[in-house]
Amino acid sequence: MKPALPWSTAFRIGMRELRASRAKFLFVLLSVAIGVAALTGVRGFSQSFQRALLGQARGLMAADLSASLYHAASPAQVSAMNALAQHGVEMTQTIGTVSMAQAVGHPVPILVSLKAVNPGKYPFYGNLVLKPAGPLPQLLNDHTVLVDDNLLVRLHAQVGDQLKIGGKIFRIAAVIVSEPDRLSAGVGFGPRVMMTRHMLDETGLVQMGSRASVRYLFKVPKGTNIAALKAKLQQILPQAQLEDYRETNPSLTAGLDHATGLLSLICLVAMVLGAIGVGMAMRAHLQQRIEVLAIMKSIGARSSDILRIYLLQTILLGSAGALLGVLLGVGVEYALPTVFGKLLPLKPALTLPIGPVLAAFGTGILTTVLFCLPPLLDVRKIRPVVVLRRAVETGFAGRGWRGWLRENRLQLFSILVILAGLGGIAVALSDSWLVGRWFTICLAALLAFLLALSSGFLRLLRLLLGRTRAQLPSALRHGLANLYRPGNQSGAVLAALGAGVMLILSVFLMQHSIVLSLRADAPPSLPNVFLVDIGSDQLQGLKHLIAAQPGIQGKLETVPIVQGYIASIDGVPEKTLASEHYPRHLLRDVGMTWSAKLLPDTEVTAGKWWTSDTTDGVALDEYIARRLKVHPGSSIVFSAGDTTIATHVAAIFKTKGNHAFSRADYVLPPHLLKPLPAIWYADMHVKPSEIPQLERVLFAAYPTITVVNVADILDTISNIVNQITVVIHFLAAFSILSGLVILASSIASTRFRRIREVVVLKTLGATRRRIALVFSIEFAVLGLLAGTVGVLFAQIMSSILLKRLHVPFAHSYTASVVTIAANVALAVLTGWIASFRILGQRPLEVLREE
Amino acid sequence: MIEVRGLRKSIRNGARTVEILRGIDFTVPQGQFVAIMGASGSGKSTLLGLLAGLDSPSEGDVILDGVSIAHLAEDKLAEVRGRKIGFVFQSYQLIPTLTALENVLLPYELNASGNGRKKALELLDAVGLSDRLQHYPVQLSGGEQQRVALARAFVLDPPIVLADEPTGNLDSRNGKHVLDLLTTRQRDSSTTLVMVTHDPQIAAQADRQIHMRDGVVVADQLAAEEA
Repeated sequence: MKPALPWSTAFRIGMRELRASRAKFLFVLLSVAIGVAALTGVRGFSQSFQRALLGQARGLMAADLSASLYHAASPAQVSAMNALAQHGVEMTQTIGTVSMAQAVGHPVPILVSLKAVNPGKYPFYGNLVLKPAGPLPQLLNDHTVLVDDNLLVRLHAQVGDQLKIGGKIFRIAAVIVSEPDRLSAGVGFGPRVMMTRHMLDETGLVQMGSRASVRYLFKVPKGTNIAALKAKLQQILPQAQLEDYRETNPSLTAGLDHATGLLSLICLVAMVLGAIGVGMAMRAHLQQRIEVLAIMKSIGARSSDILRIYLLQTILLGSAGALLGVLLGVGVEYALPTVFGKLLPLKPALTLPIGPVLAAFGTGILTTVLFCLPPLLDVRKIRPVVVLRRAVETGFAGRGWRGWLRENRLQLFSILVILAGLGGIAVALSDSWLVGRWFTICLAALLAFLLALSSGFLRLLRLLLGRTRAQLPSALRHGLANLYRPGNQSGAVLAALGAGVMLILSVFLMQHSIVLSLRADAPPSLPNVFLVDIGSDQLQGLKHLIAAQPGIQGKLETVPIVQGYIASIDGVPEKTLASEHYPRHLLRDVGMTWSAKLLPDTEVTAGKWWTSDTTDGVALDEYIARRLKVHPGSSIVFSAGDTTIATHVAAIFKTKGNHAFSRADYVLPPHLLKPLPAIWYADMHVKPSEIPQLERVLFAAYPTITVVNVADILDTISNIVNQITVVIHFLAAFSILSGLVILASSIASTRFRRIREVVVLKTLGATRRRIALVFSIEFAVLGLLAGTVGVLFAQIMSSILLKRLHVPFAHSYTASVVTIAANVALAVLTGWIASFRILGQRPLEVLREE
Repeated sequence: MIEVRGLRKSIRNGARTVEILRGIDFTVPQGQFVAIMGASGSGKSTLLGLLAGLDSPSEGDVILDGVSIAHLAEDKLAEVRGRKIGFVFQSYQLIPTLTALENVLLPYELNASGNGRKKALELLDAVGLSDRLQHYPVQLSGGEQQRVALARAFVLDPPIVLADEPTGNLDSRNGKHVLDLLTTRQRDSSTTLVMVTHDPQIAAQADRQIHMRDGVVVADQLAAEEA
């Protein structure tokens, strides 16, 4: 057995080649670098962006996790929760209830929404903004309360005045400007009054068994598995409603989910596009080296010796490109927060994001090697006799597909290795398993389809040209024939372009759909002022009054609420249900409303909404349905006053966004409820600066109606959604642009193959114009074919991913047509630019070099 | 020793099959200098390629020192080429990214263990290039490049050297110089030399001339017979 080529010699030869053709390898280097830069930049940036977003989301809950109950937890439950402290979990409790409050010296008491907190701990996240400003433990103590501006308006009071609640006197220490978890804690009755937990006990307002909403807020140490903690809490508190910070607001949850999915996709796309560029450049490089490789083989080199050289070279290129890419990417990541300025709540990371950087570096090298495998394995096919006879039979004609399969088994195996490798990387890199999986499946399907298509199409073209040879103009014939000439890279260019188009268009289509859906879910007109406890007799007057106020945007939404309770489900009476761990408050405290049509911003997830006013049935919220274990068809008997309504579940719905009708968990057809006494709720969107004035006007006319202002919270949410859309737009544009650069360089890399052809054509008297025309036809066909297939697969992949992310697919036919046209233009243009120098060369200069 | 038995080679060109060699038999004893002559397309280069194991025959066999190479796997063939055969080509075929010295050392590094530097320097000195060791092929004239190729062909002391028109790209003075070096070295080390050439003057220096036409041997003469 002869010894293998020493690594040192392989390294020397590899390095020499790198140095000898710097310009060519610059392409490879840049492809890797752009891919890796996009990966580092996008991934690092999106991670810090998501961290910032989640930070804001935590603020909306004031915690990582919350458990809501309608009564205090039992001592055993409390001690089980306290035991969580061993794992570093911090806990605090807030209690919400209603009470009457009276300003000392003011005769009329009003109903207030009381909230008791532990000033030392509350809130874990987010800011409780007070006026005058100051730390909560200082302002809130056993002698003070904090109140809504609304309360001061109603009681004609001011900060410093005294307030009597539950027989105790408190001083009003400050006005609550913004309460972080106001939306999560639910819109209550009456203006907010906040006191200490201790004083709530002292007032005796909440006794064992009295109606209060108790929330346990949890702050967990970094790296805690929230889902596991949630499951544990569900065991401790089977009746509690548990939410983590990702679920505070439906549009926020959707925004975060979609942003994660899309950003993952963008990362993968950046990586694969870079790898395609590298693979193409390496292919072109090895094609050019055929003669040198044949010489080496003729003096005794084995394929493995040659592979050693080029594998080293590939790794060197991959490492250098990855290093450059990491530097670029980190630069971008540091620069972005500065560029985006105040738009995004991001601060430049002070430390190097080691994780993303190492991941991108490794991925860069790995994908480079993976995508260079097929051209590297082609080295085995180079026959040393090339040194004697340039045109060597290369076909496998006559041996059929079995022969082809045998000859290419390693290449096929390498494609499997690439897909497996990509799948692995996709799953490892992508924060979304869904995206990683479908990305790999679609890419594999596309490649298989393109391979089949290119071989089928080229055969067909050959057959067709053979029949119609004489009728076609010669430039067209020549251009088309070029597609299947021996040694042509049609298959590779088709695969590269097709995959590129699929990836780029998918990114565009997904960001387009996601942005549209985010905007639809969180429109700026979402209600930011809620009106609570409107009497039926007040409704008309209120509508007229509101219509006359400045700053009202959109219309006033009103919803009737009929209070009642559930008497039985599927024939099982309420008492029995309550003993079977059915949450008592869900059975006893039932808000119903009526509507003929599906409520706005809701979506039916099971069953069907009624179509006529006389139909029987009830529609209920998804969450309630889950807790009550009912499904379409289940029978429910409601009781309201002395009326009994026996009906069945017709539909189950999901609500997006907060509206007044979110107060009603049950919707019934009008004829069942209209005769019963109802209280009305209303909501509207008001220009935030006009809200204080509106509160005063409303109080003057209707002192019993409570106004709840959530403008600043909605502002936070819509800011987050805006940030998501800005980042999505930016990163998608970045990835599309870098993709275009890489695709262009892939096409350009085929130019070295064409030098010889240009020379022969010129020697035969072809003008530059004619040669350019021939090439244009060749590239236009490639661009058209790859573009069409890529667009088709982009539609398939986007629609699958969007469907899984529950985002409506916003078809953009313009984008598809533009993509195909742009792809043809890109192919032709880069073909021209790359051939420009060759076209200008004198034939003899090239012939002499032979 | 080279034995050629019933050698045939055909290639497919689309639907047609072209027969390049149509049954060739001869034996070359160790140390003989054979010139293969014939018009373009007569099959000379194809024959040389088959002798070197650069290509595989459609039928027949080539036996080098008792080893049949017709059906060896590619890697085994590479080993045989490395150990038994030195090559000199018409267009030199040096690796452009390696220096003269590195080009000569390459067969050593590919096929042998140990350090071939001394041998390479000695050979380069013998072909008069000791002052050109670190030059790249593009920095050398045609004659110099072919002399590097000669040194490369002999660096492993192969029993057989195959040459394909080694002076075809050179002017007459350089051509003569290269040929002298080649034949001297061949005689001194009693290497078997098979050379394809168009030039009757060069062929006249060989121990034996094999003439080919349309893929068959039409004449096979020893120099003594001619004389």
